[in-house]
Amino acid sequence: MAGPWWSRCRNWSTNFTSASVFETLRRVSGRSAALTEVAFPGRASWTSRPRSEAQPMTNLKILNFTSSLNRLKPRLLGPTLQPCCCRTIHSDAQVQDPFTLAQKDLTSLYDDIKKELFVSKEELKFLCDYYFDGKGKAIRPMIVVLMARALNIHSNRAGDLLPGQRAIAMISEMIHTASLVHDDVIDGSDKRRGKGTIHEVWGERKAILAGDFILSAASLALARIGNITVVKVLSQVIEDLVRGEFMQLGSKENENERFKHYLEKTFKKTASLIANSCKAVSILVNPDPDVHEIAFQFGKNVGIAFQLVDDVLDFTSGASQLGKPSAADLKLGLATGPVLFACQQFPELHAMIMRRFSSDGDVDRAWKYVLQSDGVEQTSFLARHYGQEAIRHVRMLRPSPERDALIRLTEMVLTRDK
Amino acid sequence: MITQILSLTVLSESGRVGNLAAAVVTFHDVTYYANKDGSSQCQVVCCETASYSPSDSLLETEYSEKMLLSTWSRLCCRAASSRGQRTLSLFSSPGASNWSKVVSDAEKIVGYPTSFMSLRCLLSDELSNVAMHVRKLVGTRHPLLSTARGFVYDSKNNLQMRGVIVLLISKAAGPSHAASDLLAQDMVSGIYPSQRNLAEITELIHTAFLVHRGIVNLREWTVSDGPLKDMQFGNKMAVLSGDFLLANACTGLAQLNNTKVVELISSAIGDLVQGIYNENSNNTEENGLTDGVDVETWEEQTFLSHGALLAKSCQAAMELAKHDKESQRLAYKYGRHLSLGHKLNSDLQPFVKSGVGELLSFSLDAAPVVFHRQIVGQERWHQQLQQAKTLRNQLDYSKLLAVVKSEKGMSSAVDLCRYHGNKALEAIQAFPSSEARSALENIASTVSKF
Repeated sequence: MAGPWWSRCRNWSTNFTSASVFETLRRVSGRSAALTEVAFPGRASWTSRPRSEAQPMTNLKILNFTSSLNRLKPRLLGPTLQPCCCRTIHSDAQVQDPFTLAQKDLTSLYDDIKKELFVSKEELKFLCDYYFDGKGKAIRPMIVVLMARALNIHSNRAGDLLPGQRAIAMISEMIHTASLVHDDVIDGSDKRRGKGTIHEVWGERKAILAGDFILSAASLALARIGNITVVKVLSQVIEDLVRGEFMQLGSKENENERFKHYLEKTFKKTASLIANSCKAVSILVNPDPDVHEIAFQFGKNVGIAFQLVDDVLDFTSGASQLGKPSAADLKLGLATGPVLFACQQFPELHAMIMRRFSSDGDVDRAWKYVLQSDGVEQTSFLARHYGQEAIRHVRMLRPSPERDALIRLTEMVLTRDK
Repeated sequence: MITQILSLTVLSESGRVGNLAAAVVTFHDVTYYANKDGSSQCQVVCCETASYSPSDSLLETEYSEKMLLSTWSRLCCRAASSRGQRTLSLFSSPGASNWSKVVSDAEKIVGYPTSFMSLRCLLSDELSNVAMHVRKLVGTRHPLLSTARGFVYDSKNNLQMRGVIVLLISKAAGPSHAASDLLAQDMVSGIYPSQRNLAEITELIHTAFLVHRGIVNLREWTVSDGPLKDMQFGNKMAVLSGDFLLANACTGLAQLNNTKVVELISSAIGDLVQGIYNENSNNTEENGLTDGVDVETWEEQTFLSHGALLAKSCQAAMELAKHDKESQRLAYKYGRHLSLGHKLNSDLQPFVKSGVGELLSFSLDAAPVVFHRQIVGQERWHQQLQQAKTLRNQLDYSKLLAVVKSEKGMSSAVDLCRYHGNKALEAIQAFPSSEARSALENIASTVSKF
């Protein structure tokens, strides 16, 4: 079931005429386009340090954006994307469920991965296969194969997926899983996908090695595709993942810088993998850099939206199901979107953010502040903005069932409740 | 590279750089350090930081690099002085002085040793952060500390050993006929830039796994290790910094523009992980009562954990210069046999050293013991182990050493070491005679000298 605020949103949306929804959304996206530009410049500059004179400008933009959010909030709280999006997908046939559509390309996914994880030692083999049990959502490979098919049609290439594209779908899941194994050790989590984490069962030392092995197997499969540009694009992901994890260690004193830091971290930890995998499958079928950019932008925006919704659910999902907050991020000392927005209304949160919710009662207090504020709504609004951007980009591709499925999938990402 | 940077800073530490560097520490948990076991080092840092304002962000970016160096070296010095000179088997080297000379002579041949990739890595914000946090581990038994110390201490000629060999073999092979003359213009001291990058990547990977080897199983934690929270923190830092080095190796690898090389080195990483995994599971049989591995298995596992990276890097260096399959095969062979010889040599050190009074200890997986076990059989080995135990059920290593020495285990290991040294020599003979080739020959023959 959806959290309480979701239902509230639905009620709100009926109060709007579509025209006014469009009007307001356009006004906001005009401003926020600037935000996306500044916060996410071209790939190359990501690794270098931001120049000091560039920083204040960025902050200003984010300030504008967030303050505009504040102003528009009362009118904007409601609209979900759903009503407007479904209307504008132009295909006569009903949009196919993305899961069904992608299924044919994903049936052998986990078997293929297990074949890549070739180890003689039985125990290590078991550890490496542990999470490839078919119980994961495999959302990344799904996006990759749908994008690959949409791109193939866009590039006038009929027929099946290219072998390299299929490999990239597999590699995206492998890289994701390897990073999960390491993140779980770092965060000390004991449960994942309904079972004990690897380090909980076999100890940290073996868990780290299993993660390393999955990564090396992914890198090997990547090299075997034989396209050096693809290798470069996906190696960047590995670097982004680690840098994102490092960013999570530190928090910024300054509020606006903190928001930029959060979005940048979100890109690196979640969106980079999706964005660059989408880009990689586009490189294999189409030489046009504009097409690569469409694929990358879709992946980036849908990835950020995905994570923002995840951060919202950390506050809302537990609340409706168990009657108490899961607030896992707070417990880890992490200030995600809802907290950062709430901090604008309740400056008391600032000190707690800086000490990473480490004092007694911090987590509970912060959680209450967040629910009293409109941090959750604002974060969801931001997620919808990114979702809309994703849809805007993927629309530039030639219509196809797979393209429409990607649009549908984006909507599902935004409305999911677990 | 790493060693050089760190030793450089030790020199600069007393000067201005050191002071400014320490100042940057203001940003982070100074109070934490201050009340940490009253260390004078920390007090000094706090005093120095007092005069700088934490909002001075320019200072941070400009000096974070120096800070990293100074913190690591300070840390390492402290760690060393407070805990005596327990030698780390990972860094132990065959016939120390001889080896040092051979490797440092070899360094001169390849010109400047590296392409500064690891420098960039070390100077990054990420690792500066780690260096700062690692200070929290002082006083605990987290292995990340001794790994960090190893970068400064007796690692001088081991940490870079792999890189130097990759550079030497690149130089010994020279430019290939298949490569265009245009490429040859980029060569410095007869080595292509891509080969220098490769040497660096090899070192990054090796270092990454030194760090990941030091992850602690928290379930085995005991009070004597230090606070559990700190051990958790040490793990976190070790995972992150190892991953960071590995990620940089991955991007560096992609920049080499050769998917075959990416494939080779990725498979070497896979080998290394499997080798270390085996090491781990062997180590858990600490009482030595379970069936040990036989010599053949030992060789296979040692190749994975100590040889695959060097062998495949040597091969990749040939691939980068577009040398044919045969040169690639020989380079691989040299790397393989050299690493096995090197490992045998360091395993043999406790057995050949005549030093008295040193606290003796060796792994029961050391080559001479593995040979010994196979020679005397499992049953007698168990008896001998029992006899070597003291009243408090501790192993008396000097007794055990005498037992191993009395049989053929040690001499068989020496023979095997010489065999691998000779095989390495043989492989390198096919390359044209040159200064670089003689350096490689010297290294190979040093490995089999005792």
